[in-house]
Amino acid sequence: MRYVIVGLHAAGRSACAWLRRLRPDASIVGVDPEAMPPYARPLISYVLSGELEPGQLNVEGPDFWDRLGVRVVSERATALDPDKKILTLASGRQEPYDCLLVATGSSPRPAGVQGSAAKEIHYFRTRGHVERILAACRPGGSAAVLGGGLVGFKLTMGLLARGMRVHLLVTSPQPLALNVDERVGAWAAEQLAALPNLALQTCVTAQSMEPEPSGGYRLTLDTGESLTVDLVAAGKGVIPASGWLDGSGLACADGLAVDQRLLTAAPEVYAAGDTAICRDVALGAPRINAIWPLAVEQGRFAAWNMAGQDCPYPGGLAMNSIPLFGRHVVSVGAVNPRLTRGCVSEVAEDRQGRYLKLVFDGSSGRIVGALGLDAAPRLGELTWAVRRGLTRDDIPTHWRRAPLSAAPLAARTEWLAKAAGL
Amino acid sequence: MVVKSVIIRPELCVGCMQCMIRCAEAHSESGVLALAVSEAVLAKPRIHIGVGPELRPFPNKCRHCEPAPCQEACMPGAIRSDIAEGLKIVDMARCIGCGMCGMVCPYFAIRYYPAAQVAGHGAVAIKCDGCHERVARGQVPACVEACVTGALAFEDVNRHMNAGVNRLANAALGVTA
Ligand SMILES: Cc1cc2nc3c(=O)[nH]c(=O)nc-3n(C[C@H](O)[C@H](O)[C@H](O)COP(=O)(O)OP(=O)(O)OC[C@H]3O[C@@H](n4cnc5c(N)ncnc54)[C@H](O)[C@@H]3O)c2cc1C
Ligand code: SF4
Ligand code: SF4
Repeated sequence: MRYVIVGLHAAGRSACAWLRRLRPDASIVGVDPEAMPPYARPLISYVLSGELEPGQLNVEGPDFWDRLGVRVVSERATALDPDKKILTLASGRQEPYDCLLVATGSSPRPAGVQGSAAKEIHYFRTRGHVERILAACRPGGSAAVLGGGLVGFKLTMGLLARGMRVHLLVTSPQPLALNVDERVGAWAAEQLAALPNLALQTCVTAQSMEPEPSGGYRLTLDTGESLTVDLVAAGKGVIPASGWLDGSGLACADGLAVDQRLLTAAPEVYAAGDTAICRDVALGAPRINAIWPLAVEQGRFAAWNMAGQDCPYPGGLAMNSIPLFGRHVVSVGAVNPRLTRGCVSEVAEDRQGRYLKLVFDGSSGRIVGALGLDAAPRLGELTWAVRRGLTRDDIPTHWRRAPLSAAPLAARTEWLAKAAGL
Repeated sequence: MVVKSVIIRPELCVGCMQCMIRCAEAHSESGVLALAVSEAVLAKPRIHIGVGPELRPFPNKCRHCEPAPCQEACMPGAIRSDIAEGLKIVDMARCIGCGMCGMVCPYFAIRYYPAAQVAGHGAVAIKCDGCHERVARGQVPACVEACVTGALAFEDVNRHMNAGVNRLANAALGVTA
């Protein structure tokens, strides 16, 4: 059996490790121009802020792939022929496969800025990106960050830590609009507004970027204002890196649709991670949740299925854990106002400002999301609860009243019976 | 796969919290309760007595899952399974305190505190490490040593499972002996 794994980051690495465990003798070929040495991309924000050294990005030694028995081809895949079962690489080289995994993840969403300098916008996804931003940073300089989502936030905090003055330009009415509710978003905006060296502007979009004769760039906004800055960086979300599959009959611009076994429409071609459109258990609909734990988990399920087992993937859901201004914001499932219309929420709050909100479906009472600000770190249980389809009545009153001291929800054996379908 | 592990029998727990105290002691710098209480960074327990079903005490700790959701979520690879067989142990020096592991642990088995072992870091993930160093020295985990009611026991998991299956089968078949 010849397995080919395209993309060797979170999902691809996990799939390789499980395939090797399940099929000790199989031939496994990994294809990724960025495979060596293995690193973890979320750590680039810690390198930008100076909390980690660039060398600490690496999570495995350079002999990792050899030890795992994976032959790595450091190239980009450019085409797939599912009928002939052949993968074509940038050099023209061809890799035949019996079973293939697409784990090519995602790429930064283009910032949508016009102008002759727009190509100099820094994106923030790879080791190379953070190296380039660090080279362009200088204390006392100024930067514009486009996007108030998680990556925009991390860029902002990192650039501030490097001594830059930052203009954070957010299209939505509040930062982190997709990840938190109005209340926590407003708190984050308040905290940002109080930061020295930071100017937060909401409901604004950068339209064009031109070089300034004296150095730096002029950024024109849709409000008619303009800003002169030394560096422009964007964190406007991600798009699935599935464009290379155009022509294979598989790809769709929004990612790769998969069935319960993570199999795409082509035989023996599976997908996992940021490129795979899986069922979202909170929303009950297909959706990409581009986060690390799901990429690793899907890599494992894909490997199990690729190794011939029949392991239906239970589905993913959004999960975020954001250390913010000395506090901790956590969210699972549906919490943002757009996705929670018609839902009923219940809030527990104490005098220290700890806040835990549970969101239930308005008609079925099923828990669909939760959001915490410095709440007891119990969101893992709520993730479990969303996945198991627990309802409001399943969550005991004492758990809701005193989430710091309650035993785990999973301690209740009747739910184990429910989960097992007894 | 680990053979011996801490088995919890919540029905025997009286909520005395001795296990929490002895766990914190075992993970303190000095390892001695009298000194541990005045250490600069207080050691925290890795086992907790929570309010369980019918408001009864419920001892709760890491189950050392396999595969472990916390390990899959850990981006810097700080949760390791190569330190002691069958145990998921946080390498505090690698932990960045991101909280992703707590996001996915179904059992509320991970908490976040500063730790003396990594002074100067912010809060790091603190969870049960199976007292692997004590066990390597031939001791039982500190919580088990502290538990006088038998609610915590260091036992062969497979034998425990077999006994459970037998109990279930007997119940299903109406065997009372
Ligand atoms: C700054 C930052 C912070 C983040 N923070 C968090 C966080 O705190 N928590 C969290 O859960 N998630 C976080 N994420 C998201 C997380 O990193 C991703 O969800 C995760 O990396 C997805 O893994 P993946 O394997 O699906 O794809 P990717 O990580 O995108 O990896 C895809 C791999 O495929 C390769 N590839 C792409 N195209 C091709 C091709 N044509 N041929 C061959 N190889 C190809 C790429 O080189 C890459 O190595 C963060 C991301 C960033 C950028
Ligand atoms: S911390 Fe939680 S998820 Fe991790 S091994 Fe322990 S019980 Fe499992
Ligand atoms: S808090 Fe530490 S152990 Fe937990 S996921 Fe983050 S880095 Fe890993």
